[in-house]
Amino acid sequence: MSRIAQLNQRYAASAELARNGVELVAVGDPTGARLNTAVRRLMILARDDGPELWEDLIGAVKSLRWRLVTQPQPLEFNPGLTDTVDHVRKQVRRLRGAIEDEALLDELLAAAEAVGMADPALGHVLSRSIEEVGAAYCVVVAASKPAQLGLSEWLAKGKVLVLTSGELERQQPLVDQAYVVGPPRFYRSSLVTAPATGAVSFILPAWFGDRSIPRSAIAAYADGAIRIEAKIFTEGDDSEPGNDETVAEVEDEFLPQPSWGTRRSVDREPGDDEVEARRVLLSGNLAIWLDDGDRIRALDPQQPAGERVVYTEVGAVRPGTFLLLRQGETERGALYRAGIERLGAKGPAVDGAQRAWKKKLALRLQEVTYRHAVSELRARGVRSADRARAWMEPSLVRPNRDEDFEGLLQWLDIPMQPTFGYATMLRRAHHQASAALREELERAVSEGDLTALERDGHWLKEGKREGSRGLIATRVLAISPHKEIVSRHDARVPFEDRSGKWLE
Amino acid sequence: MSTTQSERAPLHLALAEDPLATAERAPWIGPMLALGARAARYAANHADRQLVVALSVPRRDFAAALIASGWVMARPAPTLPDPVDVARGLAHGALVRVVTEREVIVDRFSRLNETITPPRLHLSSSQWQLPRIRALHVLNETELQVPIRMARPHVGAIGRLARLEDTWDARLAAPAFDLAIVGTQAWLRDDFDAFLSCEGDAVDRPKELVEDLAKAAEKGKPYKVAFGHGSLLDVVLPETPKASTWSTKVYASSRFAEQLPLPASLRVIVLDGSGAIKYLGEIEAPVVVCILDRSVADETAAEIVVQMRNTRGELVSISEDLGWRPPAGVEALAFTVAL
Repeated sequence: MSRIAQLNQRYAASAELARNGVELVAVGDPTGARLNTAVRRLMILARDDGPELWEDLIGAVKSLRWRLVTQPQPLEFNPGLTDTVDHVRKQVRRLRGAIEDEALLDELLAAAEAVGMADPALGHVLSRSIEEVGAAYCVVVAASKPAQLGLSEWLAKGKVLVLTSGELERQQPLVDQAYVVGPPRFYRSSLVTAPATGAVSFILPAWFGDRSIPRSAIAAYADGAIRIEAKIFTEGDDSEPGNDETVAEVEDEFLPQPSWGTRRSVDREPGDDEVEARRVLLSGNLAIWLDDGDRIRALDPQQPAGERVVYTEVGAVRPGTFLLLRQGETERGALYRAGIERLGAKGPAVDGAQRAWKKKLALRLQEVTYRHAVSELRARGVRSADRARAWMEPSLVRPNRDEDFEGLLQWLDIPMQPTFGYATMLRRAHHQASAALREELERAVSEGDLTALERDGHWLKEGKREGSRGLIATRVLAISPHKEIVSRHDARVPFEDRSGKWLE
Repeated sequence: MSTTQSERAPLHLALAEDPLATAERAPWIGPMLALGARAARYAANHADRQLVVALSVPRRDFAAALIASGWVMARPAPTLPDPVDVARGLAHGALVRVVTEREVIVDRFSRLNETITPPRLHLSSSQWQLPRIRALHVLNETELQVPIRMARPHVGAIGRLARLEDTWDARLAAPAFDLAIVGTQAWLRDDFDAFLSCEGDAVDRPKELVEDLAKAAEKGKPYKVAFGHGSLLDVVLPETPKASTWSTKVYASSRFAEQLPLPASLRVIVLDGSGAIKYLGEIEAPVVVCILDRSVADETAAEIVVQMRNTRGELVSISEDLGWRPPAGVEALAFTVAL
């Protein structure tokens, strides 16, 4: 089929789904409902009690619940389920005697063990649905790569195609119907707003409260907005307790969550050598402190070779983003040095001029408040005035707009030349150095195994020569809700952090 | 210019990736072309503010290329003096673009010989009978490695619909060059290689295409689209080192940070996909068109657009102010921000 025909099919499927809506099949699942109720009791207790003591148990039971929804294959194809039950057992044993509510521990254990005894309810409905439509005419969509592997092992005999939503996107199989395992909230909106099939059914446990359908992010404001309705069907025994849960379940609560602890930094402005940064947990037991400075290097595996290494705004870094990091150092310091070196004999003078205006800016920002500085700069026509603090950063060579830089220099009482010309020269050199590094990274990445990256979430390439730093591509798992003040030197340098253990 | 035709009459446009295959009709082609034209017209009348149009499409394919084609075709054609008058005013060594029946050439001017009939124009590495020169234009570029010769771009079915034939020579000699597309270069190149036609009509077979098809067959090599074959490439005219005329600057999103700030001569920037849309805040051109690919899970791009709309935007009605209606499966919003 030609690309144009495929594209026509996409447009048609999108319009069809907008017209007809999607199906939600809510499956009665008393065993899962019991576990869910116990997990919620535990969450409430942990919330009132502080999370530290409970962290591992919560991680284990949430992981079990997640598995029940996303990998509902029969027990004989589900060794991971049994392992997770064992894990819950271990954590319950560890907490015996340490807490008052023994009854809750008993209930959690009993509920988990019940889950480990019976084939998951969702699985029955899934296999029956596939039979009804015919394996050749449908595709099963799994919430993650491990789930895809688990489900396809089970369904392989029946020649059923099982894909993750990413694989579905890439392969665009010629089928009419998609059975999606898990509630819509577990999937990105693309599954329904840019569907690969004209019909989509979600199979989820009846006890799962949140049945909302994601929307395209601009739907609320757009002409021709795509709003997908849901038709809900109920299967099996849904008289279990916990169904009438009025609290909307959100994915954030449902998915295993890291514990961030409380903010440690006292309320103060960061010092000269400090920055405010969020902790970003990364695949491969890593983390970085990510400050609001210039863009960060990222990897987009969906892009063709040669265009995969990209820059991304700090604000656009999300769980799922792949960051490209160097072991033990940051890119920006190295790039600044390389930029100065490219200027040859003029380098030291340029470096001196840069330091001078940035220092003056730092002093001025100490004299007047940041807000005051922004309004003064605005009055001088500096459009990007709110970046004033960021410009102290050596690697942010100069404001992008000429008018902004002129206004800034005037405000600092610095003569336009040679500072303006030097900074512009350095910006060009910095761009060249950055381009050279990007080419180098592209080559390194093209040698790497992108499939492994998708499967494992991270990938490390050791430095080839002695002394050269290893390159790490790693998926962002979670970003802390609050900022801490950290040393500028530590920002963006990867370090070991196991808090993301339950997130992968 | 009248891409409006594509809306008024139930004209069915079709695309083909292979010039020998039957083009496939698609209901979204016409509206995408029309949007480029509408944006050009809107920008011409509202110079003081930046227009941002965001589209969400099921997949990004062809959207940017078609919108760009619509924009290029809607730009008014330049009025050029007669080539002989231009030639008489040229200084030795001047950089010129020459449009002939078969080629577009950029080279240095040597001399004009009017002592013979017909008069001859001498360039540094070729010479031409003046009557064969359809348009002649002086360039101000300094960093070009000349000569550059390429096959004359073919106006194609869509160009005829938009009545571009009469002004095609002038457009090739002095294109507006005020459009940029930021996106994944490899994908954009594939999109430019598609052939646009009206449903039922065979794809145009310009001489250049026929010859290259024959050459490829003879050598047993796969056929590759080139200038002069009549694909979207000939309308969009992306700037490349081998092109001797260009309407469109194409930036790779992955390299875009190093290109900022952009030349002020660019009037419209098409940001194709989230890697490009992340730069929305740094673009100062009068028109920005954002293509949101809904098949990509990353929603940050949509959030960036919505945030700009909500914090700085003045709403523009897609249907009333732009006079456009999104086809089925496409969402659209528009607003303006102070420049």
